[in-house]
Amino acid sequence: MITTFVKLTAARLLAAIPILLVVSTLLFCVLRLLPVDPAAMSLPPNATIVEIEAKRREMGLDRPLPEQYLIWLSGALHGDFGQSIQFRRQAGSLVAATLPATIQLALGGIVLAGILGVGGGLLLFRLRGTIFEPVADLASILLLSIPEFLWGLILLFVFGVVLHVLPFTGAVAAGLPLPPHITGFLLLDSLLIGRLDIFTSACEHLILPAVALGLAFSPTIMRVLRSSLFDVYHEEYIQQARLRGVSERKILLGHALKNASLPTLTLAGVQFGILFGGTLLVEVIYSYPGMGNLMVDAVRNVDLPLIQAIGLTYCVVVLLINTVVDGFYAVLNPKLRVR
Amino acid sequence: MKFGLPRRTFLGMIAGTAASMSAPFARAAANDAVTIGWPNDVPTWDPNQRFTPDAQSIFKAVFDQPLDQDPDLKLIPSLIKSWNLAPDGLSMAVELRDDVTFHNGDKMTTEDFRYTFFERIKSGPKLDTGNSMKKVQDIVIESPTKALMKFDSPAPTMPQWMAFLGSYVVPKKYIDSEGLDNFVKKPIGSGPYRLAEYELNSRIVLERYDNYWGRKAKIPRVTIQIIKDPSARVAAIQSGQVDCTINVPVREVQRFEKEPGFAAEIDPITRVILIHMRSDLAFADKNVRLAAHHAIDKAALSKAFYGGAAVPLSVLATPGTPGYLTDFTFKYDPELAKKLLAASNFSPANPVKIGFATTNGQFPSDYDIARAVVQMWKAVGIDADLQVIEYAKYFELNRGNKLPEAMLYSWDNATGDPEIFSGYQLNPKMPFSPWKDEDIGNRVLALFNIPDYDKRIAGYRELERYAVENGATVPLLQSVVTLVRKKNLAYTKYANGWLLPQTLQWS
Repeated sequence: MITTFVKLTAARLLAAIPILLVVSTLLFCVLRLLPVDPAAMSLPPNATIVEIEAKRREMGLDRPLPEQYLIWLSGALHGDFGQSIQFRRQAGSLVAATLPATIQLALGGIVLAGILGVGGGLLLFRLRGTIFEPVADLASILLLSIPEFLWGLILLFVFGVVLHVLPFTGAVAAGLPLPPHITGFLLLDSLLIGRLDIFTSACEHLILPAVALGLAFSPTIMRVLRSSLFDVYHEEYIQQARLRGVSERKILLGHALKNASLPTLTLAGVQFGILFGGTLLVEVIYSYPGMGNLMVDAVRNVDLPLIQAIGLTYCVVVLLINTVVDGFYAVLNPKLRVR
Repeated sequence: MKFGLPRRTFLGMIAGTAASMSAPFARAAANDAVTIGWPNDVPTWDPNQRFTPDAQSIFKAVFDQPLDQDPDLKLIPSLIKSWNLAPDGLSMAVELRDDVTFHNGDKMTTEDFRYTFFERIKSGPKLDTGNSMKKVQDIVIESPTKALMKFDSPAPTMPQWMAFLGSYVVPKKYIDSEGLDNFVKKPIGSGPYRLAEYELNSRIVLERYDNYWGRKAKIPRVTIQIIKDPSARVAAIQSGQVDCTINVPVREVQRFEKEPGFAAEIDPITRVILIHMRSDLAFADKNVRLAAHHAIDKAALSKAFYGGAAVPLSVLATPGTPGYLTDFTFKYDPELAKKLLAASNFSPANPVKIGFATTNGQFPSDYDIARAVVQMWKAVGIDADLQVIEYAKYFELNRGNKLPEAMLYSWDNATGDPEIFSGYQLNPKMPFSPWKDEDIGNRVLALFNIPDYDKRIAGYRELERYAVENGATVPLLQSVVTLVRKKNLAYTKYANGWLLPQTLQWS
């Protein structure tokens, strides 16, 4: 089983290389087509034409586009995405500083989406044929129609402003110090230095943005799981299990769910990519110090090196997650196992 | 499997968890701390690098400026005890305090002063202070506390610049030994607070510097929470997660005014909202330019977008500053606008077509103001094609002569000096103005070289009227800053909108 996982993951990672190259080319070319001059924008407004030309040469912007791309790609492979126009710091270091927070948030979101999605899917399935089915169906459609940023605002208002039970700004309470960057992951770092108070505060600050993401992405999982369960219940082995006297609960949780989870898992992998992109607005609403928040700044300031660095990082993370999900899919699906 | 947890114990645990969860943020801070909701992070911790008006209050907490301003914007001593601008404006003698230390304990001397305002500038076009200090030819060190600044041409506003954007003294020895990158990561200044923690786009924690040479800050710990979304800032102050916040929507300020426990204010500041004009294309015609100005109902814009608190302006200066004219009003007169356009063969049926650029979200209601102006222009016979551009692209477009005829713009001048209002906005050799006409351009350039204060101010007052009467600029409104705070949190109000952490105190 482990061999299958490793082999498939390795194959997928190899297949991801051309995808990354295509995405990086698109990212580079599209941004270069924008009518902005990164050299001029990198300098103060009083810079002379001569200084701008010198900067253009320094940045390699006077060379042919394919050569520029290769220079950029070579730098990117070494983690050098150039200097951010707005922050005048290395774009790579800005991404590295903010990526862990976004991963932490996205993982929180996908775990919650999974719990809510699977729970909701099972509930929807159990309510089939009852008078509650149309109501449950309507509720799931309603949930599906609310995007993550709206959930963000609703949750902020209800739990932050009205009920006063959860914080909604930043990643940790104002009175607590930030732990040293060991892994960059706040939850992990606070545990590593043995500060449970920081860990608890970081968890509290993670709840609302993660729930906002989870609520936005759970309805899709819910509905796909229910449809898969419907399909699985038409399979012969379900009837046979019934004939053997296996209880409905055991049929659902022990047999049907495992098989119905395969398409759900595939969907969750795809959803993670979308959810990862969804962190952008949620991070702004909750002042969460992640990469999405940084991206908003970068776009607002037409900070091309930073946009490229964040864009490529998003792509790499999504590809990695999909690769891992594919690996798990192979593990769960006996047909794909290597003999 | 059955867990043997009694229901009462279970409910008690939930209640306990809820109580412990709500405790840390039921109140943003105790009396020895304060939390401020701030709309933007600092772009960098090198205070000389970028001119960012919104970051000045934060920089002023960590770094010191050579000169300072009182709440009415009068220049006052700071690191510089005394200064003497030569009558010809070609040099300025300064004497620094001898009791100033940086946060690492190093003494601040003229070496640091020279490094900040001369050596760093000459090292290349990397700092925005290269613009403000471009006239500095040398800084001659006479002693650890005395220096002479030499200029290549008269620099009458150098004292003002010593208290303006980017002019913060940085520690030469520390930067030399640690490197600029490490300085930016762990900056030290000589200000009333030292930077204790910084998390990009999230929060800035300041701790009082007990060896500060000046008046000690009342509150030992200040947390600046970066909250970019205005609705989230409103929610944060409402829920008590922050004690004070700025730049909230005007309607929210009006609501907070009625809420017990809160104080809310809309304060006009030294920031002007204007329309930059080109001197060519369709605006080569003076009638069209003046018609564009007469057609705008500034009071209506103020009422619609700033609750009436933004003061309509007729010149490029704000009330109370030296260049402001109390005896001049450019009237709103759409009929006169139509007559002017008719004289150039334009009418609502046959409108003159122009391009009009605006930012969206760069300052409050910018895009909405631009849309309203388009409608006002349409009513008199000006058909404006509204385009949204990023503020970051403004200078590049202007440098390439690619801006449209008109551009909605906001300009901050914390000093209040007219050179940094109309002087910069109408100087054809500077990157700010698209107005390139020689007549006004030469008048402006001449004013840059007048060292005598009274003559200089008189010249700018004359220029301001002349520029508006010739349609070279369309001043619209004096911008406002909105602030909501807990009622028992006092602060010092500055006419330029600064909210300095060192002035905050609980009552």
